[in-house]
Amino acid sequence: MAHQRIYITGMGIVSALGVGKTPTLEALLTAHSGIGPMRNLQGTVLNHYPVGEVPLSDPEMQQALGLDPSEPCIRTGLMGMMAAQEAVEQAQFARQRPERTALLSGTTVGGMDRSERHYLDFFEGKHTHYVALHNCASFTDQVAQRTGPYDICSTLSTACSSAANAIIMGANLIATGRADAVVAGGSECLSKFHLNGFHTLMIIDKQPCRPFDRQRAGLNLGEGAAFVVLESEQSMRARGVEPLCQLSGYANTCDAFHQTATSANGQGPYLAMKSALQMANLQPSDIDYINAHGTGTPNNDISEGIAIERVFGQQVPHTSSTKPFTGHTTSAAGSVEAVISILALQHRFVPANLNLKQPIEELHFTPVSQTLRDIDLHHVLSNSFGFGGNDSAYILSKV
Amino acid sequence: MNKNIYIQSAAQISIQSPLCDDWFEQPTWHTEPQVRAVEPNFRDFLEAGELRRIGRIQKRALVTALKALSQSDLSMPDAIITSTGLGCVENTEKFLSAMVREGEEYLQPTHFMQSTHNTISSQIAVKLGCHGYNNTHVNDGVTFESALLDAVMNFELGRFSSALITANDELTPAYFELLGQIGYWKRGPHMQQTLLEAQSDGAFAGEVSAAFVLENTPKPHTLCALRAVEVLHAPKEQQLQRSIERILTDNNLRQSDISAVMIGKSGDCSNDAVYNHLCPKLFGQTPLAWYKHIFGESYTASGLGMYAAVVCLNRGCIPAHLSLSGKAIEWPQNILMYNHFKNREHSLVLLSLC
Repeated sequence: MAHQRIYITGMGIVSALGVGKTPTLEALLTAHSGIGPMRNLQGTVLNHYPVGEVPLSDPEMQQALGLDPSEPCIRTGLMGMMAAQEAVEQAQFARQRPERTALLSGTTVGGMDRSERHYLDFFEGKHTHYVALHNCASFTDQVAQRTGPYDICSTLSTACSSAANAIIMGANLIATGRADAVVAGGSECLSKFHLNGFHTLMIIDKQPCRPFDRQRAGLNLGEGAAFVVLESEQSMRARGVEPLCQLSGYANTCDAFHQTATSANGQGPYLAMKSALQMANLQPSDIDYINAHGTGTPNNDISEGIAIERVFGQQVPHTSSTKPFTGHTTSAAGSVEAVISILALQHRFVPANLNLKQPIEELHFTPVSQTLRDIDLHHVLSNSFGFGGNDSAYILSKV
Repeated sequence: MNKNIYIQSAAQISIQSPLCDDWFEQPTWHTEPQVRAVEPNFRDFLEAGELRRIGRIQKRALVTALKALSQSDLSMPDAIITSTGLGCVENTEKFLSAMVREGEEYLQPTHFMQSTHNTISSQIAVKLGCHGYNNTHVNDGVTFESALLDAVMNFELGRFSSALITANDELTPAYFELLGQIGYWKRGPHMQQTLLEAQSDGAFAGEVSAAFVLENTPKPHTLCALRAVEVLHAPKEQQLQRSIERILTDNNLRQSDISAVMIGKSGDCSNDAVYNHLCPKLFGQTPLAWYKHIFGESYTASGLGMYAAVVCLNRGCIPAHLSLSGKAIEWPQNILMYNHFKNREHSLVLLSLC
């Protein structure tokens, strides 16, 4: 099959950095983190942990979306609708919708925010409309109703690489001629379930997270949603829209080592980066910036670092984790960081790896600790790794 | 679809006898309102550590995966793709229930680690040491078909020469009760054999573990060819019509070449009304078959549907108890599967004897 070029023609984001691309860019350029004390998530004894919360309550988002406040909603759905809407607006779907469209999204907690609030009520027959909304697929359906009609709709759930895998499958829908444009991304809200889960694994930092720092002590949970519009060259030209960048390579691999830990030599991450480069027909030296997975957990950062060194040798490009800005947005991270990487390409900067004081001893490269401005980026590699050793990498290239 | 894909092997654990085709001649007719899957002796397949450590849905998934792989003489697939509508319910429930009932102090990390949907697919990868593509799909009643579509695209793009595709859903008593609250199940016992007579909403629940090995080259033991997969979101009747025509044209078939359409009727009146309305228009006089009365309803029930269709093709018969007319369909060559979820997600899968 002839190699089909896939472009990105729109993007939208909601995260701790704010609603939309403009506040996101502003925060990234001014090194202003969105992580802070917990405000929205209620009723948890873990309320002393810093988090990256979207600065809007559910009713505020309902209002912003013009939704009836009495309608049942899940936070993942609300954030997803806002981000997807911004993405299709930029891609000018309203003016001329691409012929065959698909929506692919990633999530893991789905409607857990409501389930954990009403779980006991369900058994008494109360609030049972949230039972159906609990399913991961229900959030995709909400986004579809908001931004549709779509010809194909599906949901991926591979924990913290979910959104990256939605982008990968979306690209395949275009590459095999099944869709002309795919709205792909993910959404994940903070929940007590999630927070406690990561807490039991003892990988949450009490301080703002410090990826790739010697003293790193875990991640900060974030929440958010982001979508990109993937489009074929033909559809893009026919509709007269401009590309933001090209998706030039991608890969998903499995570390096949452990449910929550990464192997010491980072085999899965290594294979993902290597295969994405191969698909893009690029050399490691062509990559100008790596947006690392960089969660801040002791295990992730050392194995990701080793995998990066295995791929890039002595010439590791500028590297940063942007999770100290947004927190770890888990299932949405793959698309949140796609939007951040595209902003970096467009506005010629490398976002800082905040909170980095002393780089990891065992690694030979030092992530970028201060924002770098006026720097030409041609190819950006972004990593997203999930539980179960689910490792995805994709490359975004300047057009 | 311009690449050949062959189904080399298939294995199931369900409410029928596990890892065999007993249901083909003599299905088990259950009398309880909720039936759990009939499990094989896991000790025959798994190590002591796995038996202790991993949840029920993962054990089932591992066993069907290993069985399918051994039947196809494939030790290492290029990819593992799992479909699960609800994921690891048992462990999610354990964590959630403890958190809600007993507070946040004494929660178990193991329950959280094994609660995420993709635990299943990665457990198989860890067991096999498989570094290939690994994905997990969640798409309500067409979850399984979404996973198939993922695989088919990668075959077409030349990225896979083999793949292990699985469908897994478990239904705990508590989740059975929750889904019952929103009208998923018929009430009362003895309904499995009289699903269509009941004329009421709600289906008969089942549990699923099915695994298939797909490869791009035929082998002596190949079961059938997978010739088309389509997943459609809220299609109009004409779009379904067009998809069926395209599938037939792409495969040089006429409608009369389709031996039977295997549909997702479940005895739930509102679900079945969609088939009653559309099937005569879409498929004319083509005989219809079903499977949800044998295997039960679940988000990935169509995984067992495809398993049943594969077995029927190979045994040269769709038995009377799977045929909606009550008459056995002899020597099926091509079976088209048509499934929908709440008339929103629809799917078409074409299987042919090679």
